[in-house]
Amino acid sequence: MTRLNAEEMVLNMGPQHPSTHGVLRLKLKTDGEIVSHIEPVIGYLHRCFEKHGENIEYQMVTPFTDRCDYLASMNNAHAYAMAVEKLMGIELPERVEYLRIIFAELQRIASHLVAVGTFGLDVGAITPFIYCFRERETILDLFEMASGARLLYNYIWIGGLAHDIPPGFVEKAYEFLDYFDDRVREYNRILTGNKIFIERAADVGVMPPEVAINYGVTGPNLRASGVDHDLRRVQPYSIYDRFDFKTIVGQGEMGTVGDCWDRYYVRVLEMEESAKIVRQALDQLPAEGDVQAAVPKKIRPPKGEIYFRSENPRGELGYYIISDGSNVPFRVKMRSPAFCNLSVINEIGAGWMISDVIAILGSLDIVLGEIDR
Amino acid sequence: MIDAIASWMLQFGALNWLGETGASLVAVALVGITLFIFVAANAIVLVYVERKVSAFMQVRLGPMRVGPMGTLQTVADALKLLVKEDIIPQFADKVLFRVGPWVILISAFVAFAAIPFSPTWVPADMSIGLFYVLSVSSVVVIGIVMSGWASNNKWSLYGAMRSAAQIVSYEIPVGLSLLAAVAVVGTLNLQELIQAQAGVGNLFHWIPIPVPNWFIFNNPFLFIAAFVYLIAATAEVNRTPFDIPEAESELVAGFMTEFSGIRWALFFLSEYANAAVVALLTAIVFLGGWQSPFPDIQGARIGMSVLAVLAIIWTFYVKVKANRLSIYPLAVTVVLAVLAWLFPAFAQWLANPGLLWIAIKGGTIIFMLMWFRWTFPRLRVDQLMYVSWKVLLPLAMINLAGVAIWMWLTGAINLVG
Amino acid sequence: MGYFKNIADSVSTLITGMKVTMGYFVRPREHVTLQYPDEQWPNPKRKIGVGELDSYNVIRSKLHVDIDDCIGCKKCERACPVDCITIDTLKADKGEDIGTTKNGTQKRLLVTRFTIDMTECMYCDLCTFPCPEDCIYMTPDYRFERGDNQKTEISTVDRWRNRQNLIYEYATVPPEEVERRKEAIEAEQAAKLAAAEKAKAAAEKKAAEAKPAEKENPDKPEPGEE
Repeated sequence: MTRLNAEEMVLNMGPQHPSTHGVLRLKLKTDGEIVSHIEPVIGYLHRCFEKHGENIEYQMVTPFTDRCDYLASMNNAHAYAMAVEKLMGIELPERVEYLRIIFAELQRIASHLVAVGTFGLDVGAITPFIYCFRERETILDLFEMASGARLLYNYIWIGGLAHDIPPGFVEKAYEFLDYFDDRVREYNRILTGNKIFIERAADVGVMPPEVAINYGVTGPNLRASGVDHDLRRVQPYSIYDRFDFKTIVGQGEMGTVGDCWDRYYVRVLEMEESAKIVRQALDQLPAEGDVQAAVPKKIRPPKGEIYFRSENPRGELGYYIISDGSNVPFRVKMRSPAFCNLSVINEIGAGWMISDVIAILGSLDIVLGEIDR
Repeated sequence: MIDAIASWMLQFGALNWLGETGASLVAVALVGITLFIFVAANAIVLVYVERKVSAFMQVRLGPMRVGPMGTLQTVADALKLLVKEDIIPQFADKVLFRVGPWVILISAFVAFAAIPFSPTWVPADMSIGLFYVLSVSSVVVIGIVMSGWASNNKWSLYGAMRSAAQIVSYEIPVGLSLLAAVAVVGTLNLQELIQAQAGVGNLFHWIPIPVPNWFIFNNPFLFIAAFVYLIAATAEVNRTPFDIPEAESELVAGFMTEFSGIRWALFFLSEYANAAVVALLTAIVFLGGWQSPFPDIQGARIGMSVLAVLAIIWTFYVKVKANRLSIYPLAVTVVLAVLAWLFPAFAQWLANPGLLWIAIKGGTIIFMLMWFRWTFPRLRVDQLMYVSWKVLLPLAMINLAGVAIWMWLTGAINLVG
Repeated sequence: MGYFKNIADSVSTLITGMKVTMGYFVRPREHVTLQYPDEQWPNPKRKIGVGELDSYNVIRSKLHVDIDDCIGCKKCERACPVDCITIDTLKADKGEDIGTTKNGTQKRLLVTRFTIDMTECMYCDLCTFPCPEDCIYMTPDYRFERGDNQKTEISTVDRWRNRQNLIYEYATVPPEEVERRKEAIEAEQAAKLAAAEKAKAAAEKKAAEAKPAEKENPDKPEPGEE
């Protein structure tokens, strides 16, 4: 009897594939449905952000930071602005800090909405995705009111904001928050508690805490593995120490701690926490005040360097800026969370089926614009 | 039906030259063409309905531009697919690539031959009708494997392999759950199956609620069997949550990945033809096929009134008074009930068996399938097998045994004899 | 028992999900789709800026320049991170009045070229802030298809043709005028150059005249050296 010569098949998932969240290419070694090795190939969306940063003035870098993680533009610009302000030692007015928190947290909700929706899409549920996008559009309406743009805002500037919020913004934001609480309940009904969804996500792609830490995974993915690490809490930047919110940590309610379901559910709960923060910030928002600190027209930070990190919807976003004293940065390095989060895919994804690899990739919530920069 | 058409044709002197055989052949051709038109129209209508249903469930509007409310959208899409460039990948197996879609379509299409649409309209009234439908619809898997293999694409291959495993597995619960219904009557003839469901009886034989004598109400085991069949059949026609052969977020489009234009349209035709077969079969075996739910004029009047009352309660319960669209079911049922009381002829028409009833029942089942599709995530391959072998199959077997015991209990064991 | 609990769970949670979708199916009033050309997103009507005159809408959709107010300071050109603005200017003739801006500033430079490449523009709004005359601003008009129709009909032919027309030219100075001024300036410069050369030549000549006298001296051997 002759033996069948069985060998592993290399499967190219992407760059054109419906659920690689952009132009990511995964080289899968498959044995039937089982994937034995995953090799992410990146760089299809490389746009030289860091090189751009070395050639243009400080304030001109802000629109480029927006474009790195296009689902969390506000957070990116916020981190960059804070880094430069820290380098220059600028004190910000209260109102600016509050408004920035409001926008950053609204953006976090919007980004998590996309993450939750697309994760549903990856496991085959199309309808929750549309519901999530409906809510996201409402947030984008708020952003449009304030900044005039719906995706790439360039609203948080070094030393403040581009311009003040319009009248009626606060009321609309409250309106959205009231409306949003019900919506989260709806996602739980249609997706979170759904038995098929639990079967697909629970116990799949388990990321133990030590693996997460070793690979430098941050953000909701790390917290889903049971590590209580949120920069807003452990190293409060801006004015996060003034707000009362919980750090969501994966509990493994439906399976093991650190599985896809946990990563999904941490995001759902974080949306509620962010909504809480926004509500508190709106309550405490000073009614009057300038939205620009006294910043020189030409931004020339003193000679020196800084590494500033903040909590992005995807994890720890760091900016390493070297200033040579001129108005053009010598170096702008971005530590992008999604890049580090993606690196763990082989560790937690190998040995699962193709469908699971899709689910695991979706649960990591990567944005290719940020990975490739 | 073929004989009837043939003898009707031979009445005309001008067609006498055909002879008996020739007339039969022409009749077969006529019926076949009619069925094909039905299948094509079915797909066009169902694609539109599916798009609208999905849109409404997803707080969207769906197609709105082509024709009033976008009704001509699928016609336009079909035209577009027809005139598209015919692409065959360079390294594809050219013959199988061309043949595959047709195999799928034909296997879906020939199943209609045994479907009774009304007491008289049945293309081929065969004694093994149910068996025939089951067997020809499982030929689909050959076409799927053919097209998946011929595409010379790894995604297509995955789709084909998944589909083969899935369809073969789900044949068994499908067969067993239908067998439970067959056990009650003791015939595989679909017409006889329907005829056995005439009249009104008690719910589950003993509970004194008057319900139509359909098999789904015949006994609790058949009630479960109906749902087992519906779920297994959903898997057999590759619809969500069991659409892993064409899972668009995993396998791009599964076995259809490399197909475009008219060949792709054939896949669509066969998908919706399959869905229609499943829906019609559910209606025939469990919901009384073309039987009216009302036994006579009085029954029709009372039944319509009950429906109208239910519609009123529903309208106020879900608080959609101000909603223009939700008024329609209310208005329609109330008007129909009033008409039934005013005109005995209308009530009689409602009580008559016919195409209307099987269409309504089949349509409801198809809506259920769409509802499933736009609500649920997709199962994984191994979970799919779990559901088939460890849940549906035991359930179907228990049902089969349960039906036998039930019949012994009710003394209906010699129903056919 | 877990097996049956599993099945019961599945059925109940799936029915819960189906209720949600059915809830939306029977409530079409909550649908959010807008039929685009007929209905549109309501743009927030919001003016920002200092006064009534120089206020502009917050919506950032298309750059626009009021070229009559441009003084050609090139601040926007320098502020642009992607270099999509190109400005050429010419000095006005002496004593020529080329108008004032709405702020009352006397214009001194004639803007002969002001192009915005809208295919490169990234709508960051950075160019509008440095402008001293508030003449460059974003308009809420987000429709780039140009044709004879600006309303609802989208003409495919026009849209296709105008895709290449996304480099917007704002300068209104006719090319002949530019030519004439350039020539005039060139002539002036040539004259200047000629004058300068003349002066230089004269200076050289003078120097040459002076030099031989100076040069003669070192040529002359020092009497004491020999």
